[in-house]
Amino acid sequence: MIGLAPPAYDPAAPTTADTLPVGAPATVGAYVRELVRRHRRAFALLITVNTCAVIASMAGPYLLGDLVENVTATARDLHLGRTIGLFTVALVVQAFFVHQVRLRGAMLGERMLADLREDFLVRSVGLPPGVLERAGTGDLLSRITTDVDRLANAMREAVPQLAIGVVWAALLIGGLAVTAPPLAPAILIAAPLLVVGCRWYFKRAPSAYRSEAAGYAAVAAALAETIDAGRTVEAHRLGERRVELSERRVKEWTAWERHTLYLRSVLFPVITFTHTLVLCSVLMVGGVFVLEGWISVGQLATSALIAQMLVDPLGIILRWYDELQVAQVSLARLVGVRDIEPDRGDTSVVPDGRDVLADDVHFGYRAGVDVLRQVSLAVEPGSRVALVGPSGAGKSTLGRLLAGIYAPRDGRVTLGGAELSAMPAEEVRAHVALVNQEHHVFVGSLRDNLLLARAGAGDAELWAALGAVDADGWARALGEGLDTEVGSGGFALTPAQAQQIALARLVLADPHTLVLDEATSLLDPRAARHLERSLARVLDGRTVVAIAHRLHTAHDADVIAVVENGRISELGSHDELVGAGGAYAALWRSWHG
Amino acid sequence: MQIRDLPFPDPGMPDARSGPHFLRWLGRNQLGGQLKSLAWGLLHFGSIAVLPYLVGLAVQAVVDRDGGRLAMAGVLMTLFGIAIALGDTMLHRTAVTNWITAAARVQQLLARKTAQLGSALTRRVAAGEVVAVSTGDVEKIGWFVEAVSRFAAAALTVVLVCVGVVIYQPALGIVVAVGVPVLALAVLPLLPRATRRADHQREKAGRATELASDTVAGLRVLRGIGGEELFLDRYRRASQEVRTAAVRSARMWAVISGVQVLLPGLLLIVVVWHGVNLARQGRITVGELVTVYSTVTLLTYPLRHFEEIAMAYSFSRPSAKRAARVLSLQRTTHAGGGLPDSTEIPSGDLYDPATGLLAPSGRLTAVVCGDPDEAGRLAERLGGHASFDDAEELPSVLLGGVALDEVPLSTARTAVLVQDKDPVLLSGTLRGLLDVPASGAVSADEALRAAQCADVLDALTQASVDEAPLDSHVTERGRSLSGGQRQRLALARSLITDPEVLVLDEPTSAVDSHTEARVAEGVKELRKGRTTVVLTSSPLLLDRAERVVFLHEGEVAAVGEHRALVHGEPRYRAVVTRETDEERAPGAPHDIRAGRTTGTATDVKTGIKTGTKTGTETATDIEETA
Repeated sequence: MIGLAPPAYDPAAPTTADTLPVGAPATVGAYVRELVRRHRRAFALLITVNTCAVIASMAGPYLLGDLVENVTATARDLHLGRTIGLFTVALVVQAFFVHQVRLRGAMLGERMLADLREDFLVRSVGLPPGVLERAGTGDLLSRITTDVDRLANAMREAVPQLAIGVVWAALLIGGLAVTAPPLAPAILIAAPLLVVGCRWYFKRAPSAYRSEAAGYAAVAAALAETIDAGRTVEAHRLGERRVELSERRVKEWTAWERHTLYLRSVLFPVITFTHTLVLCSVLMVGGVFVLEGWISVGQLATSALIAQMLVDPLGIILRWYDELQVAQVSLARLVGVRDIEPDRGDTSVVPDGRDVLADDVHFGYRAGVDVLRQVSLAVEPGSRVALVGPSGAGKSTLGRLLAGIYAPRDGRVTLGGAELSAMPAEEVRAHVALVNQEHHVFVGSLRDNLLLARAGAGDAELWAALGAVDADGWARALGEGLDTEVGSGGFALTPAQAQQIALARLVLADPHTLVLDEATSLLDPRAARHLERSLARVLDGRTVVAIAHRLHTAHDADVIAVVENGRISELGSHDELVGAGGAYAALWRSWHG
Repeated sequence: MQIRDLPFPDPGMPDARSGPHFLRWLGRNQLGGQLKSLAWGLLHFGSIAVLPYLVGLAVQAVVDRDGGRLAMAGVLMTLFGIAIALGDTMLHRTAVTNWITAAARVQQLLARKTAQLGSALTRRVAAGEVVAVSTGDVEKIGWFVEAVSRFAAAALTVVLVCVGVVIYQPALGIVVAVGVPVLALAVLPLLPRATRRADHQREKAGRATELASDTVAGLRVLRGIGGEELFLDRYRRASQEVRTAAVRSARMWAVISGVQVLLPGLLLIVVVWHGVNLARQGRITVGELVTVYSTVTLLTYPLRHFEEIAMAYSFSRPSAKRAARVLSLQRTTHAGGGLPDSTEIPSGDLYDPATGLLAPSGRLTAVVCGDPDEAGRLAERLGGHASFDDAEELPSVLLGGVALDEVPLSTARTAVLVQDKDPVLLSGTLRGLLDVPASGAVSADEALRAAQCADVLDALTQASVDEAPLDSHVTERGRSLSGGQRQRLALARSLITDPEVLVLDEPTSAVDSHTEARVAEGVKELRKGRTTVVLTSSPLLLDRAERVVFLHEGEVAAVGEHRALVHGEPRYRAVVTRETDEERAPGAPHDIRAGRTTGTATDVKTGIKTGTKTGTETATDIEETA
C-alpha cells in the first residue's frame, strides 16, 4: 500500500544540458562561510536572545519542581507569593525574548537572502557577452526565479530556525544535566532509534523532494503552455492530448508525493515515538532514582517537564534540516555563476582607426567542429557590408566575431589594428554594437530604457534620440512622457515601437560600427518598412555589417558576402554578383520576378 | 480515493457558482477522506492529551513510593506513545492524501477547461490569471479543504480535554476550561493584520523577482550597450524593499509568538497558584497538580489549529473565488450551428463570400493582403468558428459549399488547419511535438525535409542530453531556436497534419531568403493535389503559387500569376516589392519626410529594373549552388 521504491520517472532530471556551471562543493562552502562571516554579529545576537528565551522558559519547570518538593515535604514556609512573582517575571522575560528571537531570526534571514540574490544579479550582469550569447538567458532566468524562490524559504526560516533549534535543544539537555545529573544519560536511551531513523530518511529525502517539486511545477507548466498555445492547440485539435498530458503530469507528480509520504511515514513515528520514549525513560529511570533516594521528587518533576519541552527544538531541527538540504542544490546553482571567469580584458589594447578586419579566421563552438573556416573580410570605415546565405551557414557567427563577442579559434579579428577579443567588453561596445532581433523593453520608465545607453543623458538628449528614430511622435503622446512605465505590465509598446527604442539607444550609445543581425526580421513587412527609414538615419555615417534575411537589404550594400557552409563563397557588389550569375544572382531573379 | 489511483478518471462537474460553493463541493467529494482524517486526528490528539495524566501518575507513584504503579505508568506511556505515533502518522497520511486529491482534482478541472475553451480562453480572462490559479491558488484551496478535518479533530480534542479536566479535578479544571477558549481566540484579532503584511511582502517579492528576471532577460542588450549599474541599482532598491516588508511582516509574527508564550504562561501561573493552594489544603494531590500543569502546556499544540484554520480560510477564499471564475467560463457557441450532427468532413473549393476569395480544390493559392491584421483575421475566418470580436457579423466561409461556421467545431478544425502568424511550439521531445492528429499520409521526415529543418535538428541535438534528433528536447515556445527555425518547425508540424485545406499566414516571415526559396519548393511539392492557401507578401513564395489573389481594402482586386501581377498591377507591386507607400499612409507625415531625406534600404526601384529577367530554372539554380 505504500511506495517503497522511488518512481521510475524523475521530473527533476535535466532534459537540456545545463548551459552554465553548477557550483562545486568547495565554492559553495566558501560562499557560505563568507556569508556567515558577513553576518556574524547578527548570528551572535540571535543566539544570545535565543539563549535568554530558553533559560527563561526553564524557570517554569524549576519553580514547579520546587513547589512540588515543598508541598510534599509539607513545609510551612512555601513563599508561594515570591515563587509566583518569579514565575511571572520569567514568563514576561521569556515572552519578550521569544519575540526577539523570531524578529532577529527574520532580520538575519532576510539580510542574507537579500545579499544572496543581489550577489547573484551582480555576477550575472558581469558575465562576458560571449558566455551569454552561447548559453542564452533561459538557464540564468530559471536560477533567478526558481532557485532564489527555493532559497528564500531556507534563508528566511531554515537557517535562523536551525540556529534556534540547536541552541534550544543543547540548553534543555544541559538544564536536565544540571537539574539531575544522574538522569542525563536516560535521555540517550532513545538516541539510537532517532539516529538510525534520521539517517535513513535524510539519505533519501532531499532528492525525492526535489523531484516532487519539479513534478508539481510540471503540472502547472503543462497547463500554462496549453493556455499560451490556445490557438495552436485548437487548430491542431490537440485538446484531448493536452488533457492527457496534464493527467500524466498529475500522475507523475502524485507518484512522487506518494513516495515522499512513504518516507515521512517512516520518519514521523520514529520522531513521535522518540519524544514519548525520552519522557518515559526519564520518568522511569528517575522514578527508580527517587525511590533509591539519589534524587528528589522535585528534581524528577522538573526533569520530566524539561524532557517534555524537548519536543519543540527537535521538531524544529528535523523540520528545517530537510529544507536546508533542498536549498543546497539551489545554492550551488546560484553560486555556480561565480565559477565563470569574468573576462577582464586588456585595457592597454586601444584601436587606432575604424577599419574592421577578419584575417583567416577559424571558429567553432565545439572542439573539432569549425563553423567558420578560412574567413577573411575587410570592412572599410563607413561602408556597408551585407552577409547573406542559408540558415546555419555561419553568417550570424561571423557577425558575432566581427562584434568582438567571440574570439576566433585561429586568425585575428581586429578593429583599427587592435584585437577585439583582447579588449574588455565595456571598451568594445563603445566602438561596435551588435543589434539582434531581441528588442527587449525593460520594465520601468521610458527614460530608464534610454538612459542605459548613455548614463547621465539629459531629457533633451533623450528626446533628440527619439526624434532621430521618428519615435518622438508617439512618445510625446504618452500620458507621462519619459516617465511612462513601459515593458511587461506597463504601457504595451508595439514591436515596431520596441524596435525604435532599441534604435534610439544606438543613437545615444553612438558606436561607429554596427553589426545588425536580423534586426527587423520578426516584424511584419509594413512595420519593417517604416522602421527601415528610422534605421537608415541611425546608420548614416557608420560602418555597418548587416546579416541580411531580405534581399533588398543586401541590394543597397557596398559589398555583399555570400556565406555558405562556413566560408565566404561570393564577395562583391550587388551588380557584380548579379553579373557573375551565381547563387546570389539566382535568388535575386526569383525575388524580383 | 488513494493517491495511487490519481488522476481521477473523471474529475466531475464542479459547482463553480462562487468560491465558497466550490470549496464545499470539493469537501463533499472527499467526505470519506475527511472522516478518516478526523478519526486519526482524534486518536492522535486524544493520546497526547492522556500523556500528562500518565506523567502525573508516575510522579504520584514516586511520591507514594509505589514501584508497581510506576512500572504500570511506564507501560501505559509506551502504549500511548505507540498510539500517538500511529495517530500522528496516519493523520498526516490522510491529511496529505486529502490535500493531494483536492489539488489534483482542481488541476484536472483546469486542464479540461482550458482545452475546451482553446483560443477563446484568453479572450475572456487574462492568461496570467489562469496560470496563477494553477500555480498558487490550487495549493491554498487544497490547504483549507485538508485543514478542515484536522481542525475538527483538534477542536473536539480541546473540548473533550476541558471536560475531562473538569471531571478529573473540578476545582482546578474549571480554571483551565475557562482559560483555554480565551487562548484559542486571543491571537485571532492579530491575524488579519499579519496576513495583510505577508501579502504586502509577497507583492514586493513578486516585483523584485520580476525586475530580476526582466534584467536577466534583457541581459544581452545590457551587455551590448551598457546600463548594468542603472539596473543593478534599481534591483538593489527593490530587493531592500522586500527585506523591509519582510521584516515588517516578521514583527507582527514576532508579536504573535510572544503572545502565544505569554497567555498560556499566565494560565499556567494561575493553575500553579491555585493548584498549590489546593494541594496545601489537601484537596488535590501533587500528581494531579503536575497533570493539570502539563495538560495546559500540551494543549497549546491542538490550539495552534484554531489559528491555522483561520489563516487557511483567509488565504483560500480569494483563491477559490478565482478558480470558480475560471471554471465557470463557457465557450459561446457560434450563431447558427444548424448542422450539429454532421461529422462528415466537407471538401471542395474554399470560398469566402465576404472578400470574394476563392481557393480552388487541390491547388496552391497565395493571398496578398496589404494589412497584416486584416490578413490575420481572414486566416482565422478561413477555418470557420472565428472567435475575434466582430467575426459573427460576416458570412461564413464555404468549403465545398458547406458553411464552416455551421458544422461542429471539431469537424471544421479537421477540414481546415489554420496556422496563424505566431504558431506556438509546445515543449517536449521533437517526436512529441510532431505527433499531432494527422492523415498519416505525410511522414515526419518528409515534412521536416520540405520545411528545411536540417539545421533545426542539429541545433536541438546539440543542446540535448539525448543524441537521437527525434528524442531531442524542444524548450517552451522553442525559445532556444531562432525565429526562422521556430517558423520552419511549426510549418513541418502543419505539413504532417496533412489537412484537406491548409491555411498558412506568413509562414516564413523570419526565414532568410535562401532557405525561404527552398521551403517554398518543398511545400509546393508536398502539398501537390491538396488545397493550400498561403497569406504572404514574399515574392519567393508568391512566385511558386499556382494562383495569386490580391486583396485590396477587403476585397479581391486582382487574380493571376505573380509575375503577371507584378507587371500589371501597381498596387500589388507596391505591396510585394516593399516600395515606399506614402500615398497609402496619409496619417504619417513624418514617414514621408524620412523617406525623402534618406536614401533608404527600401528603395528598390532600381532593383526592379535590373532584375526583371526571370527563369523557370531558378529553383534548380539554387539547388545546384546549395
